[in-house]
Amino acid sequence: MANGMNRISWLGTSPRNAFMLAGLVALLVLLPLFLGQSWLSITTEMLILALAASSLNIMLGYTGMVSFGPAGIYAVGAYTTGVFMEKLGIGIVPAVLAAPVMAGIIGFLVGWICVRRSAVYFALLTLAFSQIIWTVVFQWYSVTGGDDGLVSVPVPDFFFEITNCYYFMLAVVSVCLFIIWKIVNSPFGMTLQAIRENPNRVEFIGVNVKHYQLASFVISSVFLGIAGSMHCVFSGSAFPDYAYWVKSADMLVICLLGGIYNFFGPLVGTVVYTVLTKVISEYTMHWHLVLGGIIVLIILAMRKGVVGTLANYWANRKSAAA
Amino acid sequence: MMLLEAKGISKSFGGLSAVSEVDLVIGKEELVSIIGPNGAGKSTLFNLITGHIRPDRGTVLYKGEDITGRKPYDISRMGVGRSFQKLNIFPRLTTFQNVQASLFSAKKINRNIFADSCRMLGDEVEDILESVGLGGQSETLGGLLAHGDQKRLEIGIALALNPELLLLDEPTQGMSPGETVETTELIRGLVRARHISLAFVEHDMSVVFGISDRINVLHQGMLIFSGKPEEVKANEEVQRIYLGKSEK
Ligand SMILES: Nc1ncnc2c1ncn2[C@@H]1O[C@H](COP(=O)(O)OP(=O)(O)OP(=O)(O)O)[C@@H](O)[C@H]1O
Ligand SMILES: [Mg+2]
Repeated sequence: MANGMNRISWLGTSPRNAFMLAGLVALLVLLPLFLGQSWLSITTEMLILALAASSLNIMLGYTGMVSFGPAGIYAVGAYTTGVFMEKLGIGIVPAVLAAPVMAGIIGFLVGWICVRRSAVYFALLTLAFSQIIWTVVFQWYSVTGGDDGLVSVPVPDFFFEITNCYYFMLAVVSVCLFIIWKIVNSPFGMTLQAIRENPNRVEFIGVNVKHYQLASFVISSVFLGIAGSMHCVFSGSAFPDYAYWVKSADMLVICLLGGIYNFFGPLVGTVVYTVLTKVISEYTMHWHLVLGGIIVLIILAMRKGVVGTLANYWANRKSAAA
Repeated sequence: MMLLEAKGISKSFGGLSAVSEVDLVIGKEELVSIIGPNGAGKSTLFNLITGHIRPDRGTVLYKGEDITGRKPYDISRMGVGRSFQKLNIFPRLTTFQNVQASLFSAKKINRNIFADSCRMLGDEVEDILESVGLGGQSETLGGLLAHGDQKRLEIGIALALNPELLLLDEPTQGMSPGETVETTELIRGLVRARHISLAFVEHDMSVVFGISDRINVLHQGMLIFSGKPEEVKANEEVQRIYLGKSEK
């Protein structure tokens, strides 16, 4: 590991992965039996956040595009569902389905401009666009409710029962994650990873890098839109904060914490981040400071994120034993 | 018809004329080398042909078609593969995946969004790895291969495109004498077995004179001579400018 390289493991379809996945699903299905209402609600939020982070990671970890603006697209999803239901009186099914479509369209327009610029400019442009989205949401009172947000989205009663809501989110998030998993492990996903590794070289194997980066941006946006929409359904509300850069920073930190070169990185990152937040905020008012410190420590100690580091550790132990 | 014809291509960087008025032709199944002192413009010439840089003047014809100023991905799709002087691979993909990614692109299945890529086209990938002497290293990360192996992987990535024209920029650079011999054999073998045309930049004169059908000599951006190895040896200007100096 002297030169900082490591195997990018857990991307494949080995039996061990399938086994672990089955165990995880069983645990999640049984979870409402063990958890109280408030932790179940927190877990539901974690599912949504994990989807958002995994969506971001299609760009970040798989394509090597550092976006500072995922929250903007996430908010597009949340507000599409919220506005459709609260302001336009449209039913929940079309309102939810419209979210990824709208997020995909906005993602296409934003992405089309952003991929024209590389690296630093790309990051800054995504930040700028998310702030534009935030401003629009914040100012457009008649439609978005401005800084009051949308607070009475007429979500069906079914979702008020947290167990129902949990299972619904579990289903939606699982399906989405499965699709993302298929995508990143496909030939298309391999092409994205080649772009991450060396965008210049990829041009010389016949790949139009900008097209693929845009595709990655749009796919990421679609799933961010679903995550946003799910949060709107979960909370019956939508606020300008959803689009704020702090939310983007949360998602980035979650990916880095868990490890961006692993499919499971953002998922584990979500759990670590959420649990840390909840636990620390019970002990001190200055939890942001403490949390920041702990995150810095974890990221410094585990450069490949929690999952990447553990996977490395296991791989090394296995090769030592062999 | 020549496979590749560059006519009067020029490129300056600021005041420096890196390539000027070069006419380069490469015939079908021809193995040509490009030699010249450091800074002669050899790499720049490759960059002009493959679309990495746009020439200031001149045209590049590939199979009679004008490809001047086209994008690298267009030109590589037409069957022009290349390797780079500086290592240029996908360091955190496995050796297998390095070649596989290229093969996906060549076969136009890199838009397939749902198939499981894991062992897709595995036999073909292994064949290519075998042919460049990397059999048995499939699962090693590209960036962890020894230098010489990374150079060979570069060739493998280019070969996966199934090119008709292959441009190799200093393929033996940094290799041990033994590896250099292997790579020389590899290059000669490729041209024969795959019936491709190949141009390579090389500083090692034993390699150049050993396998070239034709040698092109660049000097200060100009193509000063192009001919068979014996003719190059007999040419006094070439001897004076270049060959004399490189005998250490
Ligand atoms: N992108 C660039 N910008 C500015 N100058 C460049 C650029 N690329 C090449 N040059 C200059 O053009 C000249 C030719 O460079 P080139 O790399 O083509 O030489 P070369 O023949 O490949 O040399 P070497 O044997 O060292 O690889 C050099 O003087 C170099 O400094
Ligand atoms: Mg060079």
